[in-house]
Amino acid sequence: MAFDSIAARTLDTALARGAHYADVRFETARTERIEVRNGVVSTLADSTSTGYGVRALVDGAWGFAASSDLSERGVDATAARAVEIARAGAAIARIRVGFAPDRAYVDVFATPVVRDPQRIALGDRVALLLAAEKALRISPEIAVGRAWLDLWRSEKIFFSTIGSKIAQTIVQTGSGLEAMAVGEGDVQTRSFPGDIGLYKSGGWEIVEEARLIENAPRIGEEALALLRAPQCPSGTFDVILGGSQVSLQIHESCGHPAELDRVMGWEANFSGTSFLETSQLGKLKYGSDIVTIVVDNTLPGGMASCGYDDEGTKSVVSDIIRDGMLTGYEMSNDTARTIGRASNACVRAQSWEFVPMIRMCNLNLLPGDVPFDNLFDDVRDGIYMESNRSWSIDDRRLNFQFGCEIAWEIKNGKRGRMLKNPTYGGMTPAFWNSCDAIGDAASWVAWGTPNCGKGEPMQTGRTTQAASPARFRNVAVGVGYHA
Amino acid sequence: MRSGDRETIAKRVLAISQADETEVLVASSDTSLTRFTRNGIHQNVAARDVAVSVRAIAGKRTGVAATNRVDESSLRDVAERALAMARLAPEDPDFVALPKGEAAAPPPGSYSEATASASPALRATMTDTIFRIAEADGLWSAGYCSTGVSGYTIASSAGTLASFDGTEAGINVKMNGADSTGFAECYVNDVAGLDAHAIGAKAAAIARETAQPRAVEPGSWTVILEPAAFGELLSYLADHFSARAFDEGSSFYSGKLGETLLGSNVTIVDDYAQPLAPSSPYDYEGQRKERVTLIEQGVARDIVTDSYWAHKLQRRNTGHALPAPNSYGPQALNLLVMPGSKSTGELIASTQRGLLVTRFWYIRTVDQKHAIVTGMTRDGTFLIENGTIAGGVRNMRFNQSILGALRACEFSRDLRRTGGYSYSCVVPSAKIENFTFTSATEF
Repeated sequence: MAFDSIAARTLDTALARGAHYADVRFETARTERIEVRNGVVSTLADSTSTGYGVRALVDGAWGFAASSDLSERGVDATAARAVEIARAGAAIARIRVGFAPDRAYVDVFATPVVRDPQRIALGDRVALLLAAEKALRISPEIAVGRAWLDLWRSEKIFFSTIGSKIAQTIVQTGSGLEAMAVGEGDVQTRSFPGDIGLYKSGGWEIVEEARLIENAPRIGEEALALLRAPQCPSGTFDVILGGSQVSLQIHESCGHPAELDRVMGWEANFSGTSFLETSQLGKLKYGSDIVTIVVDNTLPGGMASCGYDDEGTKSVVSDIIRDGMLTGYEMSNDTARTIGRASNACVRAQSWEFVPMIRMCNLNLLPGDVPFDNLFDDVRDGIYMESNRSWSIDDRRLNFQFGCEIAWEIKNGKRGRMLKNPTYGGMTPAFWNSCDAIGDAASWVAWGTPNCGKGEPMQTGRTTQAASPARFRNVAVGVGYHA
Repeated sequence: MRSGDRETIAKRVLAISQADETEVLVASSDTSLTRFTRNGIHQNVAARDVAVSVRAIAGKRTGVAATNRVDESSLRDVAERALAMARLAPEDPDFVALPKGEAAAPPPGSYSEATASASPALRATMTDTIFRIAEADGLWSAGYCSTGVSGYTIASSAGTLASFDGTEAGINVKMNGADSTGFAECYVNDVAGLDAHAIGAKAAAIARETAQPRAVEPGSWTVILEPAAFGELLSYLADHFSARAFDEGSSFYSGKLGETLLGSNVTIVDDYAQPLAPSSPYDYEGQRKERVTLIEQGVARDIVTDSYWAHKLQRRNTGHALPAPNSYGPQALNLLVMPGSKSTGELIASTQRGLLVTRFWYIRTVDQKHAIVTGMTRDGTFLIENGTIAGGVRNMRFNQSILGALRACEFSRDLRRTGGYSYSCVVPSAKIENFTFTSATEF
């Protein structure tokens, strides 16, 4: 569908109604979900949704209205509604919060795709999951086997009153497995890859990379073994975290606190604020010297990879933590201005009906120089943990407690017996400053998170925290595990 | 879009569909939310949509397709896509047939025209009231004011035709001081029931009264959980009442119907018609929802089902289906905890040393089978000494079995609706003995 004329009408209506700036984002999103549960296809669903969202700026106040009505009358009403909403906010405003972007782009972006998922026959997609799920259930004690596949494609086009016209096609793919073993008074779960599957931007090649069928028997066996494994001990230990758990640790204790809207209190009532303050830029030693974390929405395979964010700002690479020092934030156009910087293109909306806001980008811990096996070398008494099971952190992102699906003890540099119910906790800066080794590039994976929640109405964001396994010294382990 | 228009769309899809059996869900919504921080509006949004979802059955095979276009071509396309998917799906031996629903009346108070037509100016006026309270107290406010109307129609080839329209309005406020915060909320169906001044004043009072919080030691505490805290804790039990979790063994309930599992004063029901939170009388298969007593005086009594799980477990259908496709199984979405006899004030007065908790944050399950969860206190935690409030305390992390908590608890007589849009339940305040805090944070 050509949107130029309807976009022009929308923006003209917004300006005629009194907006000083407006933009409109048309989007068609197609999603396919297949889930196999205990040999039955419990979900086989294909959904499309088309609509648009209009942002209007009136006297420094934003209004946003969205609709699926693409008729001329529909876009007129939606543009007028956005302006009416902005005007209602402006009428009681104490301060100006909204600013128009100052740079326009005309461009096209498309996710690189090796194999178009839609060219894989639906029957073959279902057959893969049936086979993988069947391979999980190696024993009657595996009470639940699950295998799933998500195919997402979004085509969106952004127009603004300063002349932007940006068309983007974003393709994302994910798949995974889970085995739940039920024993006497105990339930243990193992997932693969990571804890939610392997999610990346790209096509069917992402499903092939996951190697579900090949890994399913091992995952089933580990779930069973956990029923009989000893409880992870409590105490202070050196800890090695698997790559997907490091990804979660970055997400919760770096990604969210570094969102500048949280720092400014924009999420205070719901997803919380941040222990960070803008005055700490360049001064706070967030982590040890080997910790460098960057925003990179150009990352191949990143779930947040795109050409432009949903404010029309071009994707960039920028530092958040460099050599352990806090050096930047994830920013929007509005928030960046408050600290005298330019946006680093961190604004996205879940879909057409949601207002764009700061969302976690591809936020990656750069790899270190230690081969994975060598991370264990000088650990005398430690725990190696893999695959997140629970995650909780306070509303300023300081006190955290995470649990993993599986662990192994480490004795004198060697991985030992399996342990169940591992948890660990700490305070964010102290934990990252205890990091003394990061796995090398060979163990670095772009772990995607497809279900990050933020905002009201709540939006689900898709993001990546690329990471290698890493080692942390003197960590509180076994916190909170008692019945 | 109201029910008549949705029913027209649903019937058109039924006429088009070539599947053996067909179920159509047409959902419409028009929702608005004004969000504020630092005594100013920063996100002010509204969205309208209509979505059509088709569940096609071919023998014992099921496919689901959805669209938000309602022209003839799109409806034909979505019906064909659903059937095409069904034909490619393997057979599910436990699928029998789509259920036939019976008509049910919406509970009183579930719809308000004033809420459906609320303007951005009305929401701005209510938020301005909150800003003025904050400014008068030297605080800054963050929160939202929302209004919205939504509805759905389910029609099927089995003869089901069920429609419901409901409205929701809410205010959620966090007041922020130099070293303390306070929270208050109110969710109603009729926007006229929102008292912005009272909600803002309550949040401001909590922020003031918890200023200069002291640190207390983690450990075993007597706690009194205000409804916002208790309701969020309770929401982590909801899945345990599902027939799916019951059958698969992940529920604490599994195999224990008829056993005493909780305190004798604990009765939990699922009730869509509770006057504080009236909602749809239908589930997403168009079945009448039952009021289900899940826990009665501590005894595990019942689980919730849908047509699939009712057949699979040879139990009655309680009408708790989610929209297809549904891998979660049936869910109890309207939990109600029956109240006790004392006021919250009397619960406080009966506490020698304890903590009054306004709200929790980031609760997550640590151990599913034993319903052990962790989380943080947030936005107003008070020390209780000798039966009276003795100031604010810094926030702490808890690790606690919900089952253990409900074996040593006492409830207030005053019920409140809590949870907003993320979940909804009606609960009293709860006094719980030996609630375990395991660490503290810095604020």
